[in-house]
Amino acid sequence: MADESAASHVTPPPKARTDLITAAVLLAFAAAAFAGAWAMPTFTDRGGDPFTAPGIVPGFHAVIIGVLSLVLGVRAVLRGALRADGGPPPEWRRVEGASNLRLALAAALGVGLVFGLIGRVPFWIAAAVFVASFTILFEWPITPREQRLRRIAEGIALGLVTGVVVTLVFERLFLVRLP
Amino acid sequence: MLGDAFASLMTVATLFNVAWATLLGIVIGALPGLTATMGVALMTTLTYRMEPDAAIQILICIYVGAIYGGSRSAILLNIPGTPASACSTLDGYPLARRGEAGRAMGISTSGSWLGTLVGTSMVALLTPTLGEMALSFGSYEFFWIAVFGIVIAGTLSGGDPLKGYIAGFLGLFVSTIGQETNHAYARYAFGDPNLAGGISLLPALVGAFGVAEVLQVMRGPRMEPVTSTLDSVIPRLEDVTRHWRTILRSGLIGTFVGALPGLGEDIAAWTSYAAARRASKEKELYGRGSVEGLMSAETGESACVPGAIIPVLTLAVPGSAPAAVLLAAMMIHGLNPGPMLIVTAPHFIYRVVAMLVLADMAKLLFGLFLVRPLLWILLVPRERLMPVVFVLCCVGAYAIASRQFDMGVMLVFGLIGFVLRDLKFPVAPLILGLVLGDLLDKNLLRGLTLTAGDVTPFFTRPVSAVLCAITFGSVLLSVPGLRARAARLLAR
Repeated sequence: MADESAASHVTPPPKARTDLITAAVLLAFAAAAFAGAWAMPTFTDRGGDPFTAPGIVPGFHAVIIGVLSLVLGVRAVLRGALRADGGPPPEWRRVEGASNLRLALAAALGVGLVFGLIGRVPFWIAAAVFVASFTILFEWPITPREQRLRRIAEGIALGLVTGVVVTLVFERLFLVRLP
Repeated sequence: MLGDAFASLMTVATLFNVAWATLLGIVIGALPGLTATMGVALMTTLTYRMEPDAAIQILICIYVGAIYGGSRSAILLNIPGTPASACSTLDGYPLARRGEAGRAMGISTSGSWLGTLVGTSMVALLTPTLGEMALSFGSYEFFWIAVFGIVIAGTLSGGDPLKGYIAGFLGLFVSTIGQETNHAYARYAFGDPNLAGGISLLPALVGAFGVAEVLQVMRGPRMEPVTSTLDSVIPRLEDVTRHWRTILRSGLIGTFVGALPGLGEDIAAWTSYAAARRASKEKELYGRGSVEGLMSAETGESACVPGAIIPVLTLAVPGSAPAAVLLAAMMIHGLNPGPMLIVTAPHFIYRVVAMLVLADMAKLLFGLFLVRPLLWILLVPRERLMPVVFVLCCVGAYAIASRQFDMGVMLVFGLIGFVLRDLKFPVAPLILGLVLGDLLDKNLLRGLTLTAGDVTPFFTRPVSAVLCAITFGSVLLSVPGLRARAARLLAR
């Protein structure tokens, strides 16, 4: 259950300054969470046991997150987060070929599917459009010019097959409701 | 009871389910980007209308198959199909590079088969005893089990214990969102009925392990197999008999690590590998294609699968991420895993043992006879596989509760999981926190109510005191200076 990603080795460990910023964000989150827990009713006015108040457990978690964030922040400072260069460069070896552009495109297409397509058009169409556009967009730059038309056709076919097969298998075979 | 359990499963329908589910599990495990957790989560949604026994059998087969399948890509691509197989790349890939990919897969098959067998024996032997022990646990002990799970997962799961603890407590905090049980007050819902319903485990899991993985794979470089041809994949008897001590040791270590809350197969593989290396007469071969090294990693990770099911059955606490989904699936099917299982349905424990054995046998058969077709699956380009995976994630997140909101949860947890991994926060404790949140919440408040706010029993009851001592001991030992000092003291 440790490192859940088989591909996570492509990123370097964060600099000390990044850890300091993370600690500040987490501390602000913990403070807001604690304030929310504190503001929750205790229901003692209705005869409720004070030790069943809804805010106790989230407040407890918020305090611990706050304390741990402080420790993270102090550790980051001790490791040079306040130095001009944001701490010593971590020892890592970037695997060639990683791309943030591909990451952004994949995330944008995923958001488009969940918030733009699903629920607005039948599920099989949403799935087909998503799979086809994903395949075509990602294969475009790595496909020789003369093969691009064929790849587009393959992408559309893959999208249609996915949409129809997923819908049939889930709805008809396993009786699962689709969005 | 074990005989009855086997007899009840010997039907054509069950064996058919075992065959296709184990094969699907192996395929899921073999493909980088599809993890065992995601496979079990997706199949939970597909099988939730089935009979409980059939559904759990399928999920166990997927789990067993996926953990084994991960070694295919670990050996051929130097990329573990599942994180559990990361350790197998160390010696599996060098073996493949020197033209012994088939032999490496044979070692992987025999090690994995024997590992699951050792682990399954431990389930049969230990679960009833542990279950009876857990019957004496009260609120105080269950509170500490939840905290202990988070601390152990945080300490061992990501290299930086501090970040592991933060991730774990974030998970515990997220689990408090929605209506609590005492007053039906909607915590942190801000008037939104969807948030008042709480954050469901499955969409969060599918997001953190599925969507985040899709994003990681799409950002990373393309992978090419080292070979498309194989030598014989039939395990050599000599490879097994020569390393029987390693197999037994790794099997027991894997089962033990699996039984600890929230660690899982990857830790089991690394721990078994380290122990085998320490005991080996051929230390210099480790990392350069050592048969013993690969055998230990494969045996350890596969023994962990049954091991991770032990706390699910006895305490309702998962030993690994896929076991967390299995726990959720058992709850969905009304099987109520936990201390009362030994009273209400003792036969179910033996049925799980029989299910594990069937899955293990199917894994062995597919491992021996279906290696070449599995090789072709590795050649599917990620540009075509990942969008299909993403569509399946959406279905998996939506299907159980039919809430569009759950797909949003999946996406948010996917992005959170991705960012956390980038910042080197382990995601597993976050999910474990989400699983254990309810256990901690109910038992902390129940304990405080019973004693009118007196916290003494949390520290003075025998089992509570032991769990508390181990928890704080783990935290203290994770502080680098203290750890070094403790190691020096032990060395004297």
